[in-house]
Amino acid sequence: MTRIKILLGLLLPALAGAAAPKHDLYVVAAINNGFVVGSKMVTLSGLFQRGADDTYSHFGLNFPYLTSLAVDPRDPKVLYAASINGVLCTTDGGQTWRIGTGWDMTEPKDVVLDPNAPDHIYLALPDGLAVSADRGRTWPRRENGLPERGKYTQAVRVDRTRAGRVFAACESGIYLTEDGAGYWRRVFASTATVTDLRQSPHDPGLWLATTQSDGALVSRDGGLTWKKFAGVLSAEAHYNVCFDATNPRRFAIGGWTYGVLVTEDGGETWTARNAGLPAEHCVFRIGLDPDSGRLYAAVYKDALFASDDFGRTWRKEGLEGSVVYNFIFVPKTAN
Amino acid sequence: MKAPTLCLSILALLAVATLSAQPSFLAPAPSGAVVEQADLRRAAYEARIAEVLAWRASLAKPGELLGDMAIIAAKLARHEDADLCSRSVIELMKEPGSGPFWMFPAVNVAFLGRGQLTPAAQQAIRDAWRKGMQIRGDTENHWAMYYTSLYLMSQLYPDEPGASWYTGKSSAENLAEARDYLIHWMDLATTVGQGEFNPTHYIGEYAIPMLYLAVWAQDPAMRIRGQMKLDWLLADLAENTLNGVLHGANARTDDTSVIERWNALASFFSWIAFGNTPPPAAYGGWGTYFATAAQGYQVPEVIYRIAVDRDGDYLQRDLKRTRRRWRNSDVLMAPIYKQNYTRRDYAVGSYQGGMADPIQTHVWDVTWAMPDPRGVHNTMFSMHPVSSGYDMQTYFTELPDQMTKGVTKEGKASYDSPDKFLGGSRFEQVFQDLDTVIALYDIPAGTRFPHVNGFFSKDLVNLTVDPSGWIFAQGGRAYLAYRPLAGFELKSIARIQSSWTGERADTGDKILYSPHLKNGTIVQAASMDEFKDFAAFQAAIRALPLEFKLEPVPTVRFTTLRGKAVVCTYGVAPVVNGQPVDFTKWKLFEGPYLNAEKGSRKLTLTHGRLERVLDFNTLTITDRVHPN
Repeated sequence: MTRIKILLGLLLPALAGAAAPKHDLYVVAAINNGFVVGSKMVTLSGLFQRGADDTYSHFGLNFPYLTSLAVDPRDPKVLYAASINGVLCTTDGGQTWRIGTGWDMTEPKDVVLDPNAPDHIYLALPDGLAVSADRGRTWPRRENGLPERGKYTQAVRVDRTRAGRVFAACESGIYLTEDGAGYWRRVFASTATVTDLRQSPHDPGLWLATTQSDGALVSRDGGLTWKKFAGVLSAEAHYNVCFDATNPRRFAIGGWTYGVLVTEDGGETWTARNAGLPAEHCVFRIGLDPDSGRLYAAVYKDALFASDDFGRTWRKEGLEGSVVYNFIFVPKTAN
Repeated sequence: MKAPTLCLSILALLAVATLSAQPSFLAPAPSGAVVEQADLRRAAYEARIAEVLAWRASLAKPGELLGDMAIIAAKLARHEDADLCSRSVIELMKEPGSGPFWMFPAVNVAFLGRGQLTPAAQQAIRDAWRKGMQIRGDTENHWAMYYTSLYLMSQLYPDEPGASWYTGKSSAENLAEARDYLIHWMDLATTVGQGEFNPTHYIGEYAIPMLYLAVWAQDPAMRIRGQMKLDWLLADLAENTLNGVLHGANARTDDTSVIERWNALASFFSWIAFGNTPPPAAYGGWGTYFATAAQGYQVPEVIYRIAVDRDGDYLQRDLKRTRRRWRNSDVLMAPIYKQNYTRRDYAVGSYQGGMADPIQTHVWDVTWAMPDPRGVHNTMFSMHPVSSGYDMQTYFTELPDQMTKGVTKEGKASYDSPDKFLGGSRFEQVFQDLDTVIALYDIPAGTRFPHVNGFFSKDLVNLTVDPSGWIFAQGGRAYLAYRPLAGFELKSIARIQSSWTGERADTGDKILYSPHLKNGTIVQAASMDEFKDFAAFQAAIRALPLEFKLEPVPTVRFTTLRGKAVVCTYGVAPVVNGQPVDFTKWKLFEGPYLNAEKGSRKLTLTHGRLERVLDFNTLTITDRVHPN
């Protein structure tokens, strides 16, 4: 029954209209201008949750070095946060935390649950990958098939249609496991880090990726083969990519140099949508609300901006001075 | 980005420091005379400790709580004002700090406060270790402080559950994790080399935690590990100093110390351990935290004598390693081959180029001796200024674009400045033979800052741009010859003074700006005593056989002042007297004073008849006095 709820939660966005939001939005962000290790924290950083009035409330740790968050769909009080200290685990909604990893794992960049096997949690590390199969108590490395060098991992994504089918975005390319990280094989070779991977909410065989060196990529066969989007420049890095759950032909890409790029024809043509963003539109992260199609652009140490017309106009939404590391949309059905 | 340097509070402290209460800072420089009697050496060491504590304790403001952990620590070390310390601790612990720079002062106060602080104050410290998630950081110095602190606090409060610690782990789990990491780190340092080697400031971040382990660890094995690693660090410092001033290559330094070589926390450690140079202002800031526990450490005579008692020139070669490379590298940590040739009047030090650290490394220099080094820019070197997201990504787990700008706000103000003197480059290769350095540059087109900077100090005299192509100068009692291999402009510079503020000032220094991608520098040093006069030195240099070309890659054929025929070609192993240099044969330490085999976990310190062996395999220290 739980699994059905989870799958419904993930699939429903495609059918979303103007009804009440079906997802909660968590934002992983630091608001810490001038902060370095050792100085006093005078601002709130870490985890923020969007309220009904589009304001953002901080919860849990005040910690400036969180980068990603995973929420157990069976219990939203069970959270896993990727942090400079390793992975942080809480079972009480962030009141108390345990550092799940030891000294031999540092600075994970991403943490992701397998929705079809939610006890399995994947951790992207700067020197590889770890997988917990016991709700975060232990984190053995699972790197069979990854190269000794080139396994810096920026992101991990699980195929929602099959437990244990997982992609890793690494320095040397995109790697795929089909047996829960028992063995990884490379399905795309890059010359610099693959920064993000996403699976379409409309078509599970459609995947997008962004890279530092190879522009933006698309796979239409479930991630087995990848090709570059011709209309996306590759001279500078792209940071992350989103699908619009309300429109199957809309994708968006965020990045420092190019700002926000969008397509409304399934990737045939791409357009920069930066008018209304700060002049130096150093976009660190974008997000796309699966319920409304609202596009978010986090401009580095400036603010969070929102657009309800897919980037044609922008308004400042809050989190001023922030660095947003991740937008996490969690189905409310799990609450 | 997370990489820090000295915290802001220390800078603030330095700004308000009462200089008049720092007698050794203002007094004439130490004579350098060797103190032969052990009891007198110890008494002088204890007097220096007392001086630090007295100064720091004197910063307390009458009638006010103590807002600085260092003042509290100093007072506790002096066994004074325990009630005031207790009340101040309770207040400070209401807002615990956020990482290793808070943790080790808190440990310091917790241990010194045993038997002095009230139960409520001790409980306030204990509660702080439950409330605030401490940041572990991302550098080895962070981790040395973090895990030493966690180790000692877990030892102080054993048998407590995970709910009582910010880690969520029990005392036993914390202790085990901390112990495992510290042993892992010591294993690395004692087999393949120190990571953040010979740092001008970060030595405090290592030496202080090791002192705390040596003094406060209950486990005899960890206690002796702390003592041995502190010995190791101080021996490495002693060997790399010239009258107490750290010189030559540094894994990490800053915009001030790379120029005014004395003005570094390292000088505090020379001063307190060896008494052979003045301490920096405010005792380097962190000095207090060493002084508060320093009574529990005995500076070994052999290390003292390596620092102060030298009877000739020496060459020391060491194996070190880079910071962790997360990307863009075939290895996680690359080996660093470092050498140091020291004479009475000057020293030449280098590693073979590249980057031990992406921001703050210093690859080579000639540093000359000064009777009083304070305020003197006693160094000469060249470097390629790098500002690169690619290089930052090699060492940091960050996206590529924000770091080059962002880091300038985090205590590395010069990083993105083309006229900086701090940092290394992938496009620099350095060769040293005794007091000759050949630095070659092959900078790809399109590189940000496509030029080479040479540093020419305000304190050079007789600076002469010679028609031969050499630039001659005198620094202290050293004669210096600098040969740029490409066109240049020698001009005044308003140099960055502070790594934190980026403030610039025209100090009289000059920059040799050479805007050529294929480039190089040859420096040859000599002592005044070797020549009748400066003209004779110049004539000798002009007479040295030198051929070079810059295309397709820089190549130099040079016969050094010491008669070595050297061929250096960028990208190729250097050749000396027909033999290629084989760095793979270098030992962990090799020289008259420090010797260790690679992988050995055993360091032998030697001075005259004295020998001390630090053996991490057996966790033993063995002292011997050899017969004459």
